[in-house]
Amino acid sequence: MRHKLVAAVGAAAMTVALAACGDDGSGGGGGGSSDSITVWLMDGSAPDSWVSELNTAFEEKYGVTVNVETQQWDGIQDRITTALSEDGTVDVLEIGNTQTVGYANTGGLADLGEFADEPWSENMLDSARVDGTLYALPWYGANRVVVYDKSIWADAGAEVPTTREEWIDALEKIDENTDAEPIYLPGQSYYVLGGFIADEGGSFAVQDGDSWEGALDTPAGQAGMDFYRQLQSFSNSPTDNDEASPQQSTEVVPAGDVASWIGLGWEAAGATAAIEEQGGEADFGYFPIPGKTADELGHVFLGGSNLAVSERAGNREMAMNWLRMATSQEWAQKYVDANEGGVVPNRTDVTAEPAPGTFAEAMVQSADVGFLPPLTPGWANVETEPNPIKEFMTRALDGDDFSAAAGDADSEITTRINRE
Amino acid sequence: MNARKTWLNLVALALSAAFLFPVYWMFATSFKSDSQVLTRDPVFFFTPTFEHYSTATGVNLFWTYVRNSLVVTVGAVLLALAVALCAAFALARMRFRGRRGMLLAVMMAQMAPWEILIIVVYLNARDLSMLNSIGTLVLVYFVMALPFSIWTLRGFIAAVPKELEESAMIDGCNRGQAFFRVIFPLLGPGLMATSLFGFILAWNEYAMVLVLNKAPDAATLPLWITQFQTNFGNDWGATMAASSMFTVPVLLVFLVLQRRVTGGLAAGAVKG
Amino acid sequence: MTVDIEEAPSRPPGPLAGGPRARRGRRLPTGWVPYLLIAPAVVALLAVLGYALVRNLLISFQEFGRRQLISRTTEWTGLDNYREVLENDRFWDSLVRTFVFMAVNVVLIMVIGTLIGLLLNQLGRAMRLVLSISLVAAWAMPVTVSTTVFSWLFDTQFGVANWVMRHLGFSGYEQHNWFGSGLSTLTIATLLIVWGSVPFVALNLYAGLTTIGGEIYEAARMDGANAWRIFWSIVAPIMRPFFLITSFLEIIWVFKAFVQIYALNGGGPDRESETLPVMAYIEGMGQNQYGTGAAISVLTLVILLVAMSFYFRLILRQEREEGLPTQTATAPVRSGA
Repeated sequence: MRHKLVAAVGAAAMTVALAACGDDGSGGGGGGSSDSITVWLMDGSAPDSWVSELNTAFEEKYGVTVNVETQQWDGIQDRITTALSEDGTVDVLEIGNTQTVGYANTGGLADLGEFADEPWSENMLDSARVDGTLYALPWYGANRVVVYDKSIWADAGAEVPTTREEWIDALEKIDENTDAEPIYLPGQSYYVLGGFIADEGGSFAVQDGDSWEGALDTPAGQAGMDFYRQLQSFSNSPTDNDEASPQQSTEVVPAGDVASWIGLGWEAAGATAAIEEQGGEADFGYFPIPGKTADELGHVFLGGSNLAVSERAGNREMAMNWLRMATSQEWAQKYVDANEGGVVPNRTDVTAEPAPGTFAEAMVQSADVGFLPPLTPGWANVETEPNPIKEFMTRALDGDDFSAAAGDADSEITTRINRE
Repeated sequence: MNARKTWLNLVALALSAAFLFPVYWMFATSFKSDSQVLTRDPVFFFTPTFEHYSTATGVNLFWTYVRNSLVVTVGAVLLALAVALCAAFALARMRFRGRRGMLLAVMMAQMAPWEILIIVVYLNARDLSMLNSIGTLVLVYFVMALPFSIWTLRGFIAAVPKELEESAMIDGCNRGQAFFRVIFPLLGPGLMATSLFGFILAWNEYAMVLVLNKAPDAATLPLWITQFQTNFGNDWGATMAASSMFTVPVLLVFLVLQRRVTGGLAAGAVKG
Repeated sequence: MTVDIEEAPSRPPGPLAGGPRARRGRRLPTGWVPYLLIAPAVVALLAVLGYALVRNLLISFQEFGRRQLISRTTEWTGLDNYREVLENDRFWDSLVRTFVFMAVNVVLIMVIGTLIGLLLNQLGRAMRLVLSISLVAAWAMPVTVSTTVFSWLFDTQFGVANWVMRHLGFSGYEQHNWFGSGLSTLTIATLLIVWGSVPFVALNLYAGLTTIGGEIYEAARMDGANAWRIFWSIVAPIMRPFFLITSFLEIIWVFKAFVQIYALNGGGPDRESETLPVMAYIEGMGQNQYGTGAAISVLTLVILLVAMSFYFRLILRQEREEGLPTQTATAPVRSGA
């Protein structure tokens, strides 16, 4: 599954520059030479200035060249799986936080116990540990907020909500008073649904002894889905697409008349850029997803990435050194700063101070109520297309019997989640 | 008769439009600005922009991908032609024990489900330390193209009357000379048909190279096309610009060779 | 076209048109030469394809997932993978779906391809060039790209198809979902595959038709035969080897078609458009259950071999009749259906 979790700002230009600063033409597959290491970062995960400064500092200190190879999302699962089975292809690699446990369980990731005592953000650590052993280090987190068009909301007389009830009221006002689509919500935004289910105290799957079971066909699952349906009824989106097809940020929102939508930082930045390219001006405001009461915010999926070292790294010592440097307080702080506070920091001694009114400000508010999906080795299988949760959502929204749709999805989840 | 001609032309025109439309759409999209790519009402008229082409060609290592793709494609095609020609000649002209078995094997090899064999091909290459190698790609694509090539060339060789070859041998040629003087010149269309097949196959292959060659300097153009679909959203303009550029060589090779294939076939068939 | 009858009196129509009738001439020398000639092909096929097939068979008897791949361990599980696949209703549904889908596609490809091939033969020079270029362009477009374009054309919100339907005055196409059911998804996939495969058949048939001399048609017409009769009594018999081998190839290619179906809608909705190759991919590569994927592919291959055995016999028999291998030869092909 794609984890489109990227820093908020200045994203678009990174790709090329990032690739440019690493490879010297010798390739990464050479089988581990002693004077270089290969680092795989996902396309767009790190501002290029941060990467090049870090590597310069590293090369000065250790005299070892760092080859950063930018990885595309297409086919990444197969590439990581095969790379971990090869000697020396990759030393350090970025892995999505919901995928890490699955790889840790294969024996492909090195034990990072020596880093265990650093002050990691506790709720990010769960995705990097198996049975108390650390196999990856948290790098950054990100979560979704509601992005809204200030002028449409003002025209409609709608106020920024603090509870679900106020949220629905605001959407009704927009529906009545304007021609705009009150909220764009595709039918298969399953991490949004996951938040609503978490608000009810539920989860996608629950543990039963040694194994796991799908838990959509439960009161919490039903209540979560009911609220999702209520929100989705304000949207013109079809029920069988997710936020990436069409891309809500660059393909739907810039087409106009969308009063609000739920997105990540890079999506907000992408939408702003697309609107500006058309000669318009994005007038976005941001608020965290409201909870059931004003006392608590809505749960949001805490996405993000970890950094790990391959068990078959060609140069494990230097890989560890690079990892230590990249996740140190100094460089973690620089990373957060380079992203203008648009990421949830990986360490408690790093602070994000986003400017008021920015996406980042809204985002960090919900970081404490971030949830992660069940972190089992098999979770990655559940997220693989065709994703049973998405298919369940489409069926439920299209008026299929809830229990039938949820039951089918649960049995598929149960099959997949218990596989390695 | 005239009304019939008009009708046929109209049908042909409609068919041309139907076959061309998706291709046109690819090219058109590559010249549209971002906001015109996906719209509720399709955009048919627009001022073309070339920005997507500079995005697509401005990618780091672009020329490495071009070089790799060319080497892999040409290498696989030439190898397939040479090896297939030998085998095809034996299968078409000689009688030997195991000939039928070989024919059957070639037919069956055409059925190989390569998409599913990716992981085992990968495992074999990994265990033999043949990853990140252009040579491995050449080898794999060559074998993917081989069964079709043998089969097709065998047909062309069989179509050359044996008498021609025999008379050449009576005139004092040995078997090899007879082959190169008599049969080979008549194989033009067959050689083109098989090389086009191999060309398209090797030029387009994506799934194998994705796992076999992870080193950036061993990648090929199909990997380049996918990199405009990133997690910042899909740059459809650049994707289509890349695809258009990627398709043009194939189109040109086709247009040039297709004429010869058709013409050559006809000529080879009736002339002697 | 110049026909020089003086020089080549005994020459039958070319490779497409049934192959030459070999005279039982002097036996050419054999011995070890043929083996030497086929050796490179045999070695290459065995080393790359044969080795892969053997390994595929081996891992179909193993628990082979990410962990075994990465830690390079082997865990034999006997027939477990096969049992799991055969007990899965989805496998049988996909099997039936694959055959129906293949039959519909191959029939459409052969019929439309033949009609267009015949049409090409009837057209004037200019129009023939226009149509040929269109066909070639469709043929040359990479499958992944044409699949993307087709999925745009039929997109729910931004699709040209919905726009056209609205403008033609049909109601209900404001946000019509063309991928809303397995049947309509497979219909779009059919459109895509037929669109991409017809050029191969049409252009090659046309190439073959040019080898049939015009006098034969004239003679038939003078005998009062209509177009239908001419096709069945002249074109079809001469082109029989062509139809045989082309339909053989199309059956294999459509059977293996993967990208077109998977990329359109991932085998959905609700796995209703899943064919065997799509299932093998989803269960194998997608779920990292390479052993299960291997078992599905072995079963698929066996089923395909059984289904095609009749074709093998037909083609081999034809060869015996002709005394020498016959074939259709022709132009190229896209990789994979």
